[in-house]
Amino acid sequence: MIFEKRTERIIVPMFFMVALFAPLFLESNSFFVGKVTTIIILSIFVMSLDFLVGRVGLITLGHALFYGMGGYLFVILSPEYEAVNFWVYTLYICSISALIALVTGAMILRTKGVYFLMITLALSQMMFYYFFDSLEYGGGDGMFIFVRPETSIFGLSFLDLDDPQHFYYLALFSLFNTLVFFKVVLRSRFGRVVEAAKQNPDRTEALGYNIFAFRLTCYVIGSALGAYAGFLFALQFGFVNPSFFTWEMSGMALVMSILGGSGTIYGAILGTFTYEGLQYFFEHLTKEWLLFMGSAIILMVILLRKGIAGYLEKLLEK
Amino acid sequence: MINDIVLETEALSKHWGGIKAVDEVSLQFRDRLLHGVVGPNGAGKSTLLNMLCGTLKPTSGCVFHKGQRIDALKPWKFVQRGIGRSFQKTNIYPEMTCLENCAISAQRRFGGNFNLFVSRHSNKLVRKAAEQALAQVGLEDRTHAIAAEISYGEQRQLEIAMVLAIDPCILLLDEPMAGMGHDESLRIIELLKELKKTYCIVLVEHDMDAIFELSDQLTVLDNGRHLITSSVDEVRADPRVKDAYLGAEDEEEQTA
Amino acid sequence: MQTILRTPKSAAISLGNSMTTELFFVQLINGIQYGLLLFLIASGLTLVFGVMGILNLAHGSMYMVGAYLVWYFFGVTGSFTVSAVLSALIALALGILIERVLIQRLYNRNHLDQVLLTIGMIFVFNSLQSILFGNDPYGVAVPDALSGSIPFTDNSSYPIYRIFAALICVAIAGLLYYVVSHTRLGMLIRAGESNREMVEALGVNIKVLYTTVFALGVMLAAGSGIIASPMSSIVPGMGESVLITCFVVVVIGGLGSIKGAFVGALLVGLVSTFSAVLLPSISNMIIYISMILVLLVKPQGLCAK
Repeated sequence: MIFEKRTERIIVPMFFMVALFAPLFLESNSFFVGKVTTIIILSIFVMSLDFLVGRVGLITLGHALFYGMGGYLFVILSPEYEAVNFWVYTLYICSISALIALVTGAMILRTKGVYFLMITLALSQMMFYYFFDSLEYGGGDGMFIFVRPETSIFGLSFLDLDDPQHFYYLALFSLFNTLVFFKVVLRSRFGRVVEAAKQNPDRTEALGYNIFAFRLTCYVIGSALGAYAGFLFALQFGFVNPSFFTWEMSGMALVMSILGGSGTIYGAILGTFTYEGLQYFFEHLTKEWLLFMGSAIILMVILLRKGIAGYLEKLLEK
Repeated sequence: MINDIVLETEALSKHWGGIKAVDEVSLQFRDRLLHGVVGPNGAGKSTLLNMLCGTLKPTSGCVFHKGQRIDALKPWKFVQRGIGRSFQKTNIYPEMTCLENCAISAQRRFGGNFNLFVSRHSNKLVRKAAEQALAQVGLEDRTHAIAAEISYGEQRQLEIAMVLAIDPCILLLDEPMAGMGHDESLRIIELLKELKKTYCIVLVEHDMDAIFELSDQLTVLDNGRHLITSSVDEVRADPRVKDAYLGAEDEEEQTA
Repeated sequence: MQTILRTPKSAAISLGNSMTTELFFVQLINGIQYGLLLFLIASGLTLVFGVMGILNLAHGSMYMVGAYLVWYFFGVTGSFTVSAVLSALIALALGILIERVLIQRLYNRNHLDQVLLTIGMIFVFNSLQSILFGNDPYGVAVPDALSGSIPFTDNSSYPIYRIFAALICVAIAGLLYYVVSHTRLGMLIRAGESNREMVEALGVNIKVLYTTVFALGVMLAAGSGIIASPMSSIVPGMGESVLITCFVVVVIGGLGSIKGAFVGALLVGLVSTFSAVLLPSISNMIIYISMILVLLVKPQGLCAK
């Protein structure tokens, strides 16, 4: 069973049931459909980060590097005024991001803890500057996506990405697949070694496993999926700009993943929705949303250590 | 021959700057015998063990496994050859079940470790190997217990089970009875008596009663140098050994 | 995001990308001066990490606090000296307060908790900055006594304040060196850097040591912010951009080593300054490229033990 905890088996179906039917009760271009789509896409990003941070033990503040690459790769590779195939470009973008992760990971994964953190941050900052200072990629303003891709497979097309409701379902479908994918991988033989490597790296190496190879593989997987999220985000709003690469993006995602429950994977959904929900709610009340959030984070570290999923699990698991 | 040489060292040395942790040690470890290794603190026992399992590379000298020279290989190649090592400080996976602990040990040799999709529980060979290892040390009824929740003595047994799960040809045991009470130690002694019928065992220990009872051959190290390797009685009678342990043995006799 | 220091107008004369001797010396001094400033900030970061094992992500916020406080008090008192002293004192108090209330809860916690808490602190500081001071860019005027430039050739001169800033940085660095190598505190710092448990075993009051070290780190960061305030614009986000540069410095030099921070800082300062003139199109990226190069050759940093 890929969902081992009772809490997961309750919360996950609940979420997807609600998410599946919600748009049917709202008009297609309602503000909420768009807003929830964005949160779903963000959840994919946060989920891939939770995998890296919570399950593999790679604490990175540079995950936004791949978020940005997802969007920018699409703009770089696709012709400006022509509709390309979504699935083909997903393959391109994920493959190239995986390659970037492979190369950067090979360089930096031999460093430990704090160094790794600093270097990942510096790398995403470097990409920020690369695109910010670039002339051909729009510099600080970024670039627009004028034509969204089409989604045909063997000539059969059933999703129109210009329709917010269709885009919503694509995002939801992607989120579901991402969740299931991570759960399957973590339950696999590969996942067993990853779990062991996180709990006791010395012993795992003493047992003869090449931990570096396992971590690198995980880094590639997590980064490729982070890029996919960035790709979707870019498509939804029709633009890319260097703000995709900032530490604020990485930091916020980290906060969301821990708010939801580090390492739980499904917690990423809880954390992202809670954070965004709170922000939406409070931004209308006060300008000082950031102050509230910052204090909440500090209190959370001191008091509520296992996130929302942890709290729910305490209630629901016997 | 019944007692083939499994592991052998030839003039094995490890120097750290001016300090000779292990100095020209030549030893032979034979199958189905238990080789005790003792010596006062700082004698080089741990360093020797680390070189035997590949985590430390010698400054000079060689390590041979079944006639082949292996000292320059990576640690995981040692494991692949069946050279298994347990740790003095309990080094298990606390949040996993005992079965999972042994399963991780066992999984490596069955391959498919980069398989991202097949469930870890589906491989019967791995499961059987893990269960067998647990049974060998007498932990069958703890199969599904979380490792952090079993007693200290049982955790030490689990340490040994994890080594057994790799299907070893030699067990390098680093103070398996460290921190144990009398009864728990007896259990381990019985276990090792059983195991030495099948495996070659190298036992580093401070518990002298256990060493004298279990060792077929006893090696004494002092300041990195190999003092003597012989039967327990001959070693105990040797005056050089008494010198090396000067004071320590008197203490032992007083507390015995 | 902006680079925190702008090259003086007098030095911006360049014929294409060619470099005259004058320009070379001006940029050399600029680079050293920038490097010295970076050293102060980086040494604070590395000190706290080396002794306490904590990477304070809000270290850049302290730099920002120093700058904003100076600007604020300057607006009130009109005196740079008074503002600088007041700001330093407040920063000291803030450092002690933060360590006692927040940081000390991190000592036995895992790395992730550290990251999270200090990110939360960044959010709080940034929003306080926005509430208390607003988001417009500000500047602090160079104090009269130090304004003006020293001419060194017929047609170029070098700002006095920058020389003063460099000298102050050298003085503080010298003081730091003296403390670390000749005082009991310094001995504890060096011991703590290599073996934390040993320091505890020496019967030292760890709590007091940690508070002192953290406050020292905060003062170094805030002090840099104060010194730099007449030379750069005071804007939101300045803390984080200096923090990231700091990271590059300590990765290049080796985290936990003050000597490494010095080497790394000078390197970054010089590379950064020269590339702004010689290779403007990639000048922002160049320090990260340098970091990658160092990583490939010596992953623990140039001065790692």
